[in-house]
Amino acid sequence: MTFLKVIQWVVWKDLITEIRSRETLSSMLFFAMIVILVFSFSFSMDQDAVRELIAGIIWVAFAFTGIIGLGKSFTVELHNDCLEYLQLSPAPKGAIYLGKMTANLLFMLTVEILLFPLFVLFFNLDVVEEIGLLLLIFFLATLGLSAVGTLFSALTVQIRAREVMLPVLLLPLAVPVMIAAVEATRGALNGAPLSLYSQWLELLIIFNVIFTVASFWLFELILDS
Amino acid sequence: MTSFYARWAALIVIALILSGLTYQHYQQNLASVTPEWIVKNNSSPTPSIRLEGMVKSGSLSGNLDEGQAEFQLVGDSANVAVHYNGSPPENLRELKTLIVVGQWDPAQQVFRAREIVLVTNYGFVVSAYLVAMIPLILLVFSMSRKVTSLFQVIKESKLYEPQAEFHVDSR
Amino acid sequence: MSLLPSINRFIRHIQRFKGWFGGAAALCLITGMYLGLITSPPDYYQGEIVRIMYVHVPLAHTALFGYTVLFVGSLWYLWKRDPLIDNMCHAAAGMSAAFTAVALVTGSIWAKPTWNTWWTWDPKLVSFAVLLMILAGYLMLRTMVEDPEQEGRYAAVLAIVGGLDLPIIYFAAEWWRTLHQPLSISLRGVSISGDILLPLSIMSIGFTLLFTYMLMIRTQMLYLVNLFDAKKGRLLSQVHLSKVGQ
Repeated sequence: MTFLKVIQWVVWKDLITEIRSRETLSSMLFFAMIVILVFSFSFSMDQDAVRELIAGIIWVAFAFTGIIGLGKSFTVELHNDCLEYLQLSPAPKGAIYLGKMTANLLFMLTVEILLFPLFVLFFNLDVVEEIGLLLLIFFLATLGLSAVGTLFSALTVQIRAREVMLPVLLLPLAVPVMIAAVEATRGALNGAPLSLYSQWLELLIIFNVIFTVASFWLFELILDS
Repeated sequence: MTSFYARWAALIVIALILSGLTYQHYQQNLASVTPEWIVKNNSSPTPSIRLEGMVKSGSLSGNLDEGQAEFQLVGDSANVAVHYNGSPPENLRELKTLIVVGQWDPAQQVFRAREIVLVTNYGFVVSAYLVAMIPLILLVFSMSRKVTSLFQVIKESKLYEPQAEFHVDSR
Repeated sequence: MSLLPSINRFIRHIQRFKGWFGGAAALCLITGMYLGLITSPPDYYQGEIVRIMYVHVPLAHTALFGYTVLFVGSLWYLWKRDPLIDNMCHAAAGMSAAFTAVALVTGSIWAKPTWNTWWTWDPKLVSFAVLLMILAGYLMLRTMVEDPEQEGRYAAVLAIVGGLDLPIIYFAAEWWRTLHQPLSISLRGVSISGDILLPLSIMSIGFTLLFTYMLMIRTQMLYLVNLFDAKKGRLLSQVHLSKVGQ
């Protein structure tokens, strides 16, 4: 099997499982809606406060939702010892990593695209002009989360207390992604010129390149029995 | 284990002696007196001391740019006249609490100051050093104790003696 | 003969002399504290409070030195799979966490009189707080894995990812908010007087020696604990131990 074929099959397997069970996406969506509701109760916000805070709220919701999705990505493999088959499979481990990462990226992006209209609706955001840029920011930041998250999802699924350990290990490492995503989103939502926050996009790209490559090599050490 | 504890007791004694010396140094060089103390002992000239008080409102006069100033320093219940003569002071303002370094002149009933320094809360410095050193030293102590006791346990249970070998090929 | 096994033996030999490291550390720290607390001049702006610098800055440097040891050790472990190096990484993480925590607390004590706040969201503070969280996660991860070989492997992966992340975290935090005083020791020239530099460097050397001393004790402790557990449960750990002799 060629390298690309493996990636394609892993993504396909995850997608088909998801389409049949609809477990991950529905739990992510409902969790995120609850987060939005809790936030709108916790802050009584006028329009100015919304402009200050909304980027942070969006990314807190997205990050925690993403962690649910990332955690599920490998816990589903525990049933019927699928994880062991992944470990034993002669396919290159890097390809399995890239496939899993792509599948996670797709799930997280789907949830984000479904959720974003709710934010626009509930918090009266004005997004028509910047929608392309916002989608680019979402894509880059989610790629970063997914690149590190997939590695640590595969790591934590094989240890005790896996539900706790994934956020404990992942969130400190994702600090640059969160800072960059929040700042860039705030810039885009406030309609600031791109030159003011393009450095954050550059930071996201650098982060993505470094951690996709590093995780690609390190994944072999994680998925090794 | 006894020799281990004896060594640590010796270290603690040395640390206590050193901190005692530091405290003595502080008492001699950095402790300050109040205007009340000056008023009570105003008959004799003092060696160079540090006097802490607040500059009385409306009492400051003199040529600050040339390093000459006269003001009243207020304590809780007494005040002392200060003649300052030194480099142009940076921090000298009315209603400011500061320390003047100099000598009490009982004949003129005036404190001759040659240096003005800010009041420092040494609590911050001391607590920073203690917060840094005490946990690290406790950590060293507990780890060394564990190593010593492990050595003893391993010795007593004769774990170091060779046991039947069975070889496993590693990857 | 390759270099690495000899370095490996070097670690075991040098352990015998760890008392000298402790003594040298104590000597440097006492000298540094004497210079810093008593002979060095007070700062023009901060007054006597600047003396906290002589303990805070070396602690922070040593914490970063500890993470460097952890990072290099983790790479080395993944290469050679030597349990002794794994113990050293575990020890380095614990000690680095201790130094980071102490550096954060002393920094907080320094910030109160100078900036009139216990905590600001400034890049160095943020980076150190994140560093502490990464190290805490590392130490937690260590307790969550049953198999020692797997434990070492996972921990090494986490340490390497964290090491790659730290510079990015620092730059992100610096862009995010900049109100810290600029670096006082820069490569462009000495912006700081010799009276200050001398106690600062002596304290730095002292804390690095103290770190090395603590690293040695803790490596030895973890090694003995593992040895003890292994000998108690003879069957399970034969495989792991058989690699020690190689």
